[in-house]
Amino acid sequence: MRRFARLFLALAVLAAAFPLLLRHVELRSDITDFLPAAGTEEAAFLLRELRSGAATRLLVAGIEGAAPGELAGISRGMAQRLSADPRFALVTNGSTLVNEEEAALLFAHRYALSPAATPAAFAEPALRASLEGVLDGLQSSAAPLVRRFALADPTGAFLAMLRGWAGEGRVATEHGVWMAAGPRALLLAQTRAAGLDTQAQEAAVAAVRDAFAQAAPPAGARLLLSGPGIFAAEAAATVRADVRLVSTLSFVLVGGFLFWRYRSPMMLAVVAVPLAAGTLAGLAVVAAVFGHVHGAALGFGMTMLGVVDDYPILLVTNRAAGEALRDTARRIWPTLRLAVAAAVAGLAPMLASGFPGLAQLGLFAASGLVAAALATRFLLPALLPPEGLAVRPLPERLAHALLRLPARRGVVLALLALVAVAMAATGGPRMERDLAALSPVPEPVRALDGELRAQVGAPDVRVVLALRADTAEAALQAAERAATALSGAATIDHAARFLPSAATQRARLAALPEDAVLAARLAAAREGLPFRATAFDPFLADVAAARALAPLTPDGLGAAPLLAARIAPLLRQEPDGWRALLLPTDIRDPAALRAAAAGVPGLLLVDIKAETEALLAANTGIALRWAALGAIAVLLLLGAGRGAAGGARIAAALGGALLLTFAALAALGEAITIFHLTAALLLAGVGMDYALFMSRSENTAGEDAARALGSVITCMVTTLLTFGLLALCRTPVLRATGLTVTIGVAAAFLLACALAPRRSTPI
Amino acid sequence: MTGRRALLALPLAAQAPDPLAAVMAVLSATRESRASFVEEKEVPELDRPIVSRGTLAWRAPDRLEKRTTDPAPELFLVEGDRVTLERPQRGLRETIALDAAPELRPLVEALRATLAGDIATLRQHHEVAFSGDTTLWRMVLVPRSLRLRGAVQRIALEGRGGFLAVVETQGNEGRTRLMATPAP
Repeated sequence: MRRFARLFLALAVLAAAFPLLLRHVELRSDITDFLPAAGTEEAAFLLRELRSGAATRLLVAGIEGAAPGELAGISRGMAQRLSADPRFALVTNGSTLVNEEEAALLFAHRYALSPAATPAAFAEPALRASLEGVLDGLQSSAAPLVRRFALADPTGAFLAMLRGWAGEGRVATEHGVWMAAGPRALLLAQTRAAGLDTQAQEAAVAAVRDAFAQAAPPAGARLLLSGPGIFAAEAAATVRADVRLVSTLSFVLVGGFLFWRYRSPMMLAVVAVPLAAGTLAGLAVVAAVFGHVHGAALGFGMTMLGVVDDYPILLVTNRAAGEALRDTARRIWPTLRLAVAAAVAGLAPMLASGFPGLAQLGLFAASGLVAAALATRFLLPALLPPEGLAVRPLPERLAHALLRLPARRGVVLALLALVAVAMAATGGPRMERDLAALSPVPEPVRALDGELRAQVGAPDVRVVLALRADTAEAALQAAERAATALSGAATIDHAARFLPSAATQRARLAALPEDAVLAARLAAAREGLPFRATAFDPFLADVAAARALAPLTPDGLGAAPLLAARIAPLLRQEPDGWRALLLPTDIRDPAALRAAAAGVPGLLLVDIKAETEALLAANTGIALRWAALGAIAVLLLLGAGRGAAGGARIAAALGGALLLTFAALAALGEAITIFHLTAALLLAGVGMDYALFMSRSENTAGEDAARALGSVITCMVTTLLTFGLLALCRTPVLRATGLTVTIGVAAAFLLACALAPRRSTPI
Repeated sequence: MTGRRALLALPLAAQAPDPLAAVMAVLSATRESRASFVEEKEVPELDRPIVSRGTLAWRAPDRLEKRTTDPAPELFLVEGDRVTLERPQRGLRETIALDAAPELRPLVEALRATLAGDIATLRQHHEVAFSGDTTLWRMVLVPRSLRLRGAVQRIALEGRGGFLAVVETQGNEGRTRLMATPAP
């Protein structure tokens, strides 16, 4: 054991460095880090909405598993508690929760705010109809309610305004709250904190769960919850579970395999040194360059660094009998150096991909690879005894079969050609165009989100219109004009629907009849009805008072939190002015909408789905372009290191492996995402190691060739044991990587064997 | 049918020393009843009372239906926790939960808990003053909720045995008097 004292000391130092480093590194889990920088105004808008738009602040809750009456009770209890919670800007469950102060303010301003306050409503015939309606209401059982509003507001301006706010009644109300089929009571809570504020979102989720528990749910009642806070938590939990499972299993499997191959548990420790050095270097470099590390970049990068297992294996296994390990390191260094340089060249495209997340990943892997290679070359020989570790020879029959593969080169090349033709004929694998497929959020969680949002009637926002103005008033006026222009093609939701511009409010008030005129019309309308002469005095007084009121403006809504919360997502201040959003909720004619929007100056129409797809396509295009550049760099490096023929042989092995991999992915029905492409780059790096080490033995004895083969097989098996497990993960990024690399590594290994130089004397 | 059941309950009730308990016993023995009604509603803003007519139907334990036919058709239905108001001429149909309308519950229970003979629920929402006996009785209810008492000061109920004959509500907005006669 004392022979390995230095090794353990080095490992202890590396292990102690991890917590120290992690304490200074900020970990993030934001999907938009995997989106590119925006090129157009539409794309910039889209990215901003994805990062901080109103949708990212919305928690949707469903309560089910009890009788409708009980569910409604829970919903009310939760709404009451959450409305009082300062973390939430708006809580709605279908019941009207306007507080009295706000109701009084809105009632006073009703003739400025309500769309029903038209001049026609104050003409004598309309007034007559209104009064008859009031009388009818007084006759009904709802008389107390009618008396409360109708005598001061016989034209119904206030109630029409509230009805307009409630929307088109997309959600059925039962027991006074939103109730979907199931039965399932629905509740919406909008947080004040941004969707990206993970901690605040987690606190909001906890508050909702607490409110549910406090509402004394009967046994069996369940709370379903969806929103950014849930997404972040679920994504983190899934990735964590995946990583824990994979790392545990692969640790056991790789450990068992290495123990068998090297007859010693020490090999695991040997392998751990470059791995730890590489991970530390990757973390430190990414944190230094980006200021934070993305969770997915870390997870992906760590597994990617699993490949550096290969380096110590290549070192220990390639030692010739009687050779000092230091000399072996020096002997294989040119090959190892070339392999690492080519791998880094292959990763370079990720740095330029435009996705901050992918750039992190590339940087993490590249710096990790370099650090691990340096640790293998300079650190390991100093830590290990000069004789290294004993290697168990390969089963002879297997070695024979593999080393004789070059004799069948013709068959292999013909097979590759056949696959290439088949791929070309079928159009190759299909590309993933849905951004959601890249999300680390588990599919069931996203499905629930879609279901809840559909039930709550949150419009499927496919098209968003936006405009900018210098002042809030200008933005509201522009929104009003735009909404009018678009009204033929769709129903438009916008801030001025709730809070009209001051100009519109003034115009409505100016159109109100003079006091004496109104009194005369009212007296005429009352003719023959049993109302006393003074019955509508509150109405006359309120109209007179309304004329003297200053318009409500966005900055004067302190006493109207519900109204403020309604317009907040639709009108907001940005560094360069005010932005108003217009959401078409019921698009009757998309082409007409587009044409109408084009006719409104300054109005930006963003087709979310098309724009997202364009972003992804642009991205994939960029990635492919840089991958081509990476491939050229790899070819140049190989040509420089091995000459034209040797370089071509290795390139053929690599290209063939990539071809087989994508053919297999297409056959499996996988839609190719950016993660498959990235994994393919990684695969190219790993496959190159194999080809390089297999063809290093060109002019050497059979014994040396067998050693090289043994080292490459060991590398392949360890890689398969790690990446093969990744293919079982649920997180799309891990699964795509695992699948691609697993198939690719097996293909690369066989091709490396088949395309290795023919030996003059078969063994 | 209903009458016979009420009669059967009478001897038992007569033995009870407390006339209120006796009336409640008769009421709770009445599982179903039907009546026609005339209602006079005074509204301060109107120069004459509104008169409406229709039918009432009670079914134990918790269903009360008030169907107005004149001057405009309307259905006011209380069943369990749910209150439904339907006005077909206006295309109006609204359902609300009593839990969501705390100011409405005492008014509903004034009638419903009385018809059910449920004195405990009645006392939960109102102070109850009783006079008379099972042949002719009168109860005056004063809402316990101060907030509600601001709008409705008292509800007087008169009945004969298990039949609720008069409901008189005194509120800010005037007085409402409902007179019921047993349906054939």
